[in-house]
Amino acid sequence: MATITYTEALNAAHHQAMQDDARVFLIGEDIGQYGGIYRVTEGLLEKFGKKRVRDTPISEAAITGAAIGAALVGCRPILEIGFVDFAGTCFDQITNQAAKFRYMSDGQVSVPLVFRMACGAGLGYGVHHSQSLEAWFTHVPGLKVVMPATPEDAYGLLLSAIDDDNPVAFLEHKMLYSLKGEIPDARPRVPIGKAKVVRDGDDITIVAWSRAVHWALAAAEEAAREGISCHVVDLRTLMPLDEATLFAAVEKTGRLIVCHEACQTAGFGAEIIARVVDQAFDALDAPPLRVCGPDTPVPNSLPLEAVYLDTEFRLMDAVRNLTVANHPKPKKTRTRS
Amino acid sequence: MSLSAENLLDLYRTMLLIRRFEETAFIKATEGIYANYHGGMGQEAIPAGVCHGLKATDKTMITHRGLGVLLARGITVEQIFAGLYAKLTSPTRGRIPVYHMGEPDLGILAGTSMVGSVVPLAVGSALADQLAGHNNVTISFFGDGAVNRGDVHEGMNLACVRKLPIVFFCENNFYAKSTPLELSTAGGSIVARAQGYGIEGHLIDGNDVTTVHEATQHAIERARAGDGPTFIECETYRWTPHSTAGDREFARTEEELAQWKAKCPIKRLEKQLLDSNQASADQLQKIDQEILAQVEQAIDFAAAAPYAPRETAIENVYR
Repeated sequence: MATITYTEALNAAHHQAMQDDARVFLIGEDIGQYGGIYRVTEGLLEKFGKKRVRDTPISEAAITGAAIGAALVGCRPILEIGFVDFAGTCFDQITNQAAKFRYMSDGQVSVPLVFRMACGAGLGYGVHHSQSLEAWFTHVPGLKVVMPATPEDAYGLLLSAIDDDNPVAFLEHKMLYSLKGEIPDARPRVPIGKAKVVRDGDDITIVAWSRAVHWALAAAEEAAREGISCHVVDLRTLMPLDEATLFAAVEKTGRLIVCHEACQTAGFGAEIIARVVDQAFDALDAPPLRVCGPDTPVPNSLPLEAVYLDTEFRLMDAVRNLTVANHPKPKKTRTRS
Repeated sequence: MSLSAENLLDLYRTMLLIRRFEETAFIKATEGIYANYHGGMGQEAIPAGVCHGLKATDKTMITHRGLGVLLARGITVEQIFAGLYAKLTSPTRGRIPVYHMGEPDLGILAGTSMVGSVVPLAVGSALADQLAGHNNVTISFFGDGAVNRGDVHEGMNLACVRKLPIVFFCENNFYAKSTPLELSTAGGSIVARAQGYGIEGHLIDGNDVTTVHEATQHAIERARAGDGPTFIECETYRWTPHSTAGDREFARTEEELAQWKAKCPIKRLEKQLLDSNQASADQLQKIDQEILAQVEQAIDFAAAAPYAPRETAIENVYR
C-alpha cells in the first residue's frame, strides 16, 4: 500500500498507459512542459517526447476533432480539456461525431478516446471554471462517463478508460486533486460500469459520485452518531450505470438519497431516481430524495459560492428527514408480478 | 492629426491609472486576497489609445485580460477593486468575475472568459447597430491566443461579408499562457489573416499610445463611413505571468522582459511630453500622486466592503 494524491494517481496512470501502449498519445493546451493546468501530465513530455505529448493552440474544436480522427484510425488519444466548462467549445465533435461513429458505421469503426476535464466549484473561479456538467454527457448515447472520487479509483479508472474502445468523458474534481489515498501495490485497474459500496449501512442509502462521495461519507459519520446507519454507494461510473449495485442498495435500506454537486434540474440524480422508481419501486419505504446544487450558475465570491456548495450541509437534513420516524415503513399493497 | 497637449496628458493619466491599478491588482492577487488575476501590466497604451475619443454609444468588449479598458471607459478603480475582491460594491455584486460586467450606459459589453468566444458576440453588437442605422462602432478586443479559435474566424467572416461597423483589435503579446506564438499560429503573421477576409489590416506598435490611438481612429472612421471592419494587430508584452494562479514561465525570458520594459508605453509618452515641453516633471509627478492616492483609497474601500448577502446567490438566473 502506498499513499498518493489524486493528481499523482492520474499522472501515474498516464505514465503506465503510455509505456504499455505506443498507440496512446496526449493532446491538449499547456500539457507539455507546463504539465497541464493541474499538473496531471507533468513529466510526460520529458519521458515520451513531443510526438506523443502534443501541445496545441487554443483551438478546442480542432484538437477534439483531431483526437477523434486519430482514434478512428487506430490511435488511443487522451485529450485534456482544461475545464469541463470549455467542453461547450468542442461539443459538436464530442456529441455528434465521437459519440455516434460506432453506431453510424454499424460497428465498423470505434472511437477509443478519453477526454479528461476538471469540474467542480470551491476555488472561487466563477461561472466558466466551476461547473459540474456530467449530465451534458450522460444524455448522449455512445459516451461513457466516469467520475472518480479517490486516488485509487482515479488511477484504475483512467487505465480502464484508455483501454476502452468507446469515447469516455473522464471528469476530475478540482477539489480532489490534492486528496491523498491509499493505493494497493498491484495497482489494479478499476472496471468501468461498477459502483462501489464505500460504507455499509442498513437504514438509508446515499448514492453519490466525485466530491459528493466525501460529503456522503461525512454525513454518514454524523448520522451514525445520531443512531442512523447509512449505506453509501460511490457510483464511480455514471454511464453505463451499475443498476445491480444501485438496486441492491435500495432493496437493503428501502430509503434513497441521491447527492450531487451539479444543479438539480435534469441532473443525473433524476435518472437514478427514475430508474429506481421504474424498476425497484416496491423496495422503497419512503420517497426518494435528491440533495443537489441550486439551479444557478456558480457564483464567484467565496460566500456566494458557499451557497452553491450548501449541498454538503443540506445532506444531513435529508438524512434526518428520511428516518423511519418521519416516514414509517408503508404496508405494501402491491407486489411485483 | 497630431494630438493636443491636453489630449496627450489625458492619455498619460489613463495609462498611469491603469498601471498603478495593475501593480496593486497583481500584488493583492499574489497575496491570495482574491482567486486569480490576469495582469495586463505593460499593455496600457492599448486601452488608453483605443478608448480615447470613443462615444459612450460605441461598444467595447474585452476578454479575461485588459481590465484597463473598463477604467478607460469610465468604470472607477473603486468598482474594479470591489470586483476583484468580489464584494457587494462590485458592478456584479461579486457573483461573477469583474471582466464579465456589462455597463450599457458606458458602452461596455459583457465579456466572457472563453478565449475567442467574444468575437462573434462583438459582431452581434455591430450587427445591431447596423440594423438600427446607428452610427456606432464596436471594438472587439482579443489576444494572440484567440486567433486560432474557429469562433474568431466565423465571426470575422460574418462581419466582413456584411461590412459591419467593427474593429478587430488583436493584442499580440506573443504568448498564449505558456505557448509562444510561433508554436500556435501558422503562417507567421496574425494580421495577414485580414487579407483573407478582404479587409484592411494594420500591424502597429502597441506600446506607443499615439500610434494605437491614430490607427484606431482611422479604423473607426472607416466603420462609421460604412466601409466595414478593420483588423489591427498591435505588438505588445505582458510584464506579469499569464495569471497569478501559480503560472509557470518557460519560454519567456528575463532578457525579453527587459527589452520590453525598455519600451514602456508610459515612459515613452512621459519622455515625449517632457522633451516637447508639453508638461513639466512636477506636473506629471502630481498626477501620479493623485492616482496613487486614488488607488490606495479604492483598495481600502474594497477591503472594507461587505460581501453580497447569501440570498442574492440565486437572483438573476432569469429576468
